[in-house]
Amino acid sequence: MAITVPQQRVLSSRAPIRRTTAAEYLFVVPAVLFVGFTVLYPLAYNVVQSFQKVGIAQIVNGNAKFVGLDNYADQLGRAEFWKSFGISLIYTGGTVLVTFVAGLALALFFHRDFPGRNVLRALLLLAWVLPTVVSANVWRWLLDGTYGLLNTVLGTEIFWLGKPGTAMAAVTLASAWSFAPFAMVLLLAGLQGISGTLYEAARIDGAGPWAQFRRITLPLLKPVSLTTVLLCFISTFKTFDTVFLMTQGGPGGATEVLPVYAYKLAFSFYKFDVAAVATTMLLVVPVVLSVFYFRSLRKEETA
Amino acid sequence: MGVRRRLVAAISGFGLLAGVVACGGDSDSGEASGGGTLTLWQYYGDPSSPTGKPLYDLIKKYDDAKPDVTVDVRFIPYDDFNRTLLQSAAAKELPDVALIGAFDTATMASAGIISDLGDRVGPWGQQDKYFKTSWATTQVEGKTYGIPHVADAYAVYYNKQLLQQAGVKPPTTWAEMEATAKKLTGQGRTGLAISGIEGPEGATVPIIRMLAAGASIDKVDTPEARSGLDQLTRMIKAGSISPGALTWNEEDAKNQFANGKAAMMINSATYVNILRKENPKLQWDVALLPKDKTGQTFLSAENLAIGATSKNPDGAWDLITWLQQPAELQAYLPVRNKLAARNDVPDASNDPVRKVFAQQLEEAWAPDEKLAPKSSEVMTHLQAALQASASGSASPEDALKTAQKAIDESLAK
Repeated sequence: MAITVPQQRVLSSRAPIRRTTAAEYLFVVPAVLFVGFTVLYPLAYNVVQSFQKVGIAQIVNGNAKFVGLDNYADQLGRAEFWKSFGISLIYTGGTVLVTFVAGLALALFFHRDFPGRNVLRALLLLAWVLPTVVSANVWRWLLDGTYGLLNTVLGTEIFWLGKPGTAMAAVTLASAWSFAPFAMVLLLAGLQGISGTLYEAARIDGAGPWAQFRRITLPLLKPVSLTTVLLCFISTFKTFDTVFLMTQGGPGGATEVLPVYAYKLAFSFYKFDVAAVATTMLLVVPVVLSVFYFRSLRKEETA
Repeated sequence: MGVRRRLVAAISGFGLLAGVVACGGDSDSGEASGGGTLTLWQYYGDPSSPTGKPLYDLIKKYDDAKPDVTVDVRFIPYDDFNRTLLQSAAAKELPDVALIGAFDTATMASAGIISDLGDRVGPWGQQDKYFKTSWATTQVEGKTYGIPHVADAYAVYYNKQLLQQAGVKPPTTWAEMEATAKKLTGQGRTGLAISGIEGPEGATVPIIRMLAAGASIDKVDTPEARSGLDQLTRMIKAGSISPGALTWNEEDAKNQFANGKAAMMINSATYVNILRKENPKLQWDVALLPKDKTGQTFLSAENLAIGATSKNPDGAWDLITWLQQPAELQAYLPVRNKLAARNDVPDASNDPVRKVFAQQLEEAWAPDEKLAPKSSEVMTHLQAALQASASGSASPEDALKTAQKAIDESLAK
């Protein structure tokens, strides 16, 4: 008896139990409608389309026929699809790596206190806020072979976006450039959550800066890092604008990531059905990753 | 209390839903109104652009001549044009008149986006005035789906000063082109500027080059097509065509030429007035395309078509036929930098440059009826072959084999 009373008190003070009434559901109606019309409906439409035969005539007149898994068989047995898939993974992997390293470096830098820190940090966020049309075109001009700033600085005349290797590096860097400030914000929040006493104790025990970083910062930053990497992966994997504006998938398909591949199938070739397969696959990969992520998160919480 | 709240919730929820439905209904009925209004969609440009303004001026003339009609012109950039048209077709909100790419006519017709004009063309009786290649782009399975608006040809623009300095004349064959371009290359300059950008736009020059070798565009795994691609690849590797061409659209190629960074360019007549206006000091002229087995240009053209869901097809037809009157075209075409698609529009401009383009247009190529619905795909595959072989990721031979496989698959469907 003596034990149960305080337990009840703790419970009631932490989570007051209230009955949800129907009227309260009303408040979520706009959100549900919004999500339903703008997210779920198009999503379902896309998945349905991937099981139908949809050309330009079916888009105009409707009555598309279901063809089962034909579209999937067509795409999954196609070298072009897998090539594009591979390019997507290389592009995404590279971008996430550069974003994370740059984001972490920036976060560590801005974690210190120095005059003008807040202004600088806000300025950096511009890269993240800037519309892609602007940043991608600026990158394109910087890298232009004839008038580009990079060539002027280096004294070279290289068409960076006209060669497969450099074009891939360019779109990777351009994407990472805009994602890095976002990663910085997340990681900085993580850094601020690490108690200063840990570093103090480490210093007393004789740990140098590198040891502190490796033994304290990195392990304690792991949950935030995972979130950052996952979010970056998802937004990079579905990036269309940066790549399309900079290279249109070229040269010779060297930067034709999955979204660009799907766009070409749909809007240049009017093969909406197989394009829907490509976009569905585009959905599957981040979803699978997210499931793994949430699993590991739950494990960590219960542990 | 529970019941009352639930009732409120249900009513409000219903109200919201009804609001959504009502909104949907509004936008539907709003479109039908406007008795004497015709809509025309085009991708030439907005009223302030040099490529858009002439059309707006011409339409204004029509507006003034017909007080009971108002034409509402909408500019949609080229890259979004077909997609927008397609989406509007699905929503049954097509414009009365659409100015569409000539090669897209077959695709739009077979999808039911544009109407058969057969009943109107007969009584009109002017179809014989049109050049065969232009008229052929409007035909799908024996029916007429559009009226050619204008035509355009590609030719070789050359910088007179640079050619004189190098002591060369404009090339007349492709072997001469390679040699001439090489001589003109150097001192931060390339011999020839072309557009080879990803997608159909970059396929124009490869197609012109392959046609010159006598290749057929649906059969490119042939010695003829290979010799064409071989040469373009060689010229890019030698630097007489800049490797940057793989990233240039036609406007970029024009800029290279305008700034003296390229001594020659292959481009359409679109840029004649723009060059004259923006670079008045540049001394240039145009020459016919180099000729081997053929000297065919790629036909660049637009057709006027009536949207399948137009509520005023008679008005649309009146506008189209008005726009195609020789007297109107005669004033419009030189300003628009386009050529007549019909043979009864005398060129009063007395412009030697326009004469070259008009002569080039007499030898023009357009995809045939079988190829036309898939032309965007086929052109993308050909352009990919140029990109692959010029960037070194495949030999010209392998690049064309890959392209042929893709073309066969496109045409089989």
